[in-house]
Amino acid sequence: MASLRRSRGENLFIRYLILGAWASFCLAPVLWFLSIGLRPRTEIITPQPIYWPTFSLDAWHMIWEDWPMAKYLRNSVAAIIGSVVIDLALAIPAAYSLSRYTYRGRDDIGFYILSTRMMAPAIVAVPIFFLFRNVGLLDSIWALMIVYAAINLSLVTWIIRSYMLDIPKELEDAARTDGASDLRILWEIIIPAILPGIITASVIAMIFAINEFLFTLLIASTPDAYTMSVALANFTGGSDGVIYNAIALVAFLAFLPVFLVVLLIQKHLSRGLTMGAVKG
Amino acid sequence: MAEIELHNIQKRWGAVWGVRDVNLTIANEEFVVFLGPSGCGKTTTMRMIAGLEEPSEGDIKMDGEIMNGIDARDRDVAMVFQGYALYPNMTIYENIRFPLRMRDVPKSEQDARVRRAAEMVELSDLLDRKPAALSGGQRQRAALARAIVRQPHVFLMDEPLSNLDTKLRQNMRVQIKHIQRELKITTVYVTHDQIEAMTLADRIVVMQAGAIQQIGTPDEIYNDPANTFVAGFIGAPPMNLIEGKIEDGIFTSEGINVQGLTRRDAGPVTLGVRPEDCTLSESGNLVGEVYGVEPTGDVTYLTIKAGPKMIELKAHRDFRAQLGEVVQVRFDPERLFLFDQKTGERVR
Repeated sequence: MASLRRSRGENLFIRYLILGAWASFCLAPVLWFLSIGLRPRTEIITPQPIYWPTFSLDAWHMIWEDWPMAKYLRNSVAAIIGSVVIDLALAIPAAYSLSRYTYRGRDDIGFYILSTRMMAPAIVAVPIFFLFRNVGLLDSIWALMIVYAAINLSLVTWIIRSYMLDIPKELEDAARTDGASDLRILWEIIIPAILPGIITASVIAMIFAINEFLFTLLIASTPDAYTMSVALANFTGGSDGVIYNAIALVAFLAFLPVFLVVLLIQKHLSRGLTMGAVKG
Repeated sequence: MAEIELHNIQKRWGAVWGVRDVNLTIANEEFVVFLGPSGCGKTTTMRMIAGLEEPSEGDIKMDGEIMNGIDARDRDVAMVFQGYALYPNMTIYENIRFPLRMRDVPKSEQDARVRRAAEMVELSDLLDRKPAALSGGQRQRAALARAIVRQPHVFLMDEPLSNLDTKLRQNMRVQIKHIQRELKITTVYVTHDQIEAMTLADRIVVMQAGAIQQIGTPDEIYNDPANTFVAGFIGAPPMNLIEGKIEDGIFTSEGINVQGLTRRDAGPVTLGVRPEDCTLSESGNLVGEVYGVEPTGDVTYLTIKAGPKMIELKAHRDFRAQLGEVVQVRFDPERLFLFDQKTGERVR
């Protein structure tokens, strides 16, 4: 008995050890960023290791007071949320159609949607720039919303489609004989049933959107439409040189919103990531 | 509350036939069971009545009105599914109320009707649970409540009991039949389980390969089968079907001899006799050796090997025998069936 109990304790210890090691491996860059961001600039570029760093809010004051970081943050959040809303509004009906109706060319259309993800973004960068210039949307967060939505639409559609395929057909037949129209079936039966999938797709879309750099740089030519990811680039040039502590702090701030969202919906997310793949 | 007529119903998907030449009239308040092996077209026929599939040809009428092209939600039909099909995000209460909401039943009426339906299936205590928190039997009762709550013209039940264990199934059979009698609603019930068909049906429709084999009351189906398929499908263990030939009213097959048949013309036939119409006897129609003995408590199943043929029979519950023991079996002369060997059709 005693030896059994001990081995179970050891087991638990090993388990924590492995998971703890993995967690610190993943979190180390984040903590490293935070530590750089909260140190004076002079301490960062010294060749000698510093064991007791000095705490400093220089970078913090700098990004908020010398730079319109609040505005960039607002731009980021607005563009990302807007793009996810556009994605869901388009992807849910598209996925419903792809998963539930049979018509000629359905599978081809599904593949076309997915194939938009396969080309290198740089190929369409110039056409997209001219497109937005011609419609007068350059330098606006509306353009960013549309671009982010376009980038993620295929992914979001396919994730949601795979969840819809897992819903038994019987459920819809039941709703239909109960007197529900197609739209009500979608709204009252399908969407609630695949909510974890919708959340998963949204979070993945948010992560891609917040990290988007190329198109943002093209479209946002003035600080009016700068986002966090483009703002980072501002700290690398100019007469001040590379401002590492500001870069680190902004990078941390860009990481934070998605991190918090994931933390809040963790339960749905872990269920969502497996539910689509494995039939319950 | 509704009469259903099926006229020359056909269902094809490309070259694949689902259902062919189905003609059937289901009377008002009747309980009709579609019985057949899987893939025989029984569920497809039901789905066409529900409006979830359109027939390729033929008409479906309810109370004389043609239903072709009318959407499922506009037919006053309620369906119970094999997998229950409860809405997982809603509580049992919301599940049962769903059809009332969809059909714009006044809010003031909804609550009372939901509670009455739940009471009929003894689910009143579980109304605020989600389907996932219910057992299989409770889920099936919830699905039943959702079907009865709006008092439809027609009930359709697609193998509703096949996911339940034997004891619960017996229980639910009684309950379903009771509710159907009480509400007096025309019911179509699909199953591959002959016991369910025999116990529930006013009339059974036996189907195979998309076509109706026989329509009749349970007694007719059991005592007067139209062909070898029906004869072999109904009854457990199934009817013994022995291929042989007939001449001068005498049927012979290897090791088997039956005299005194009324049929005079000669030729190959199949003789059918049910296991319960075979008895062990001093002077029998066949001599064979005991191949298997299966006591079940209330009856003992015997398998007798006669020539190349295995004959099943039901013996007294106390009967025991050694394997290989030689016995004689007598067939009840009143309860023999003859079938055409080629077509399988009954010859009288």
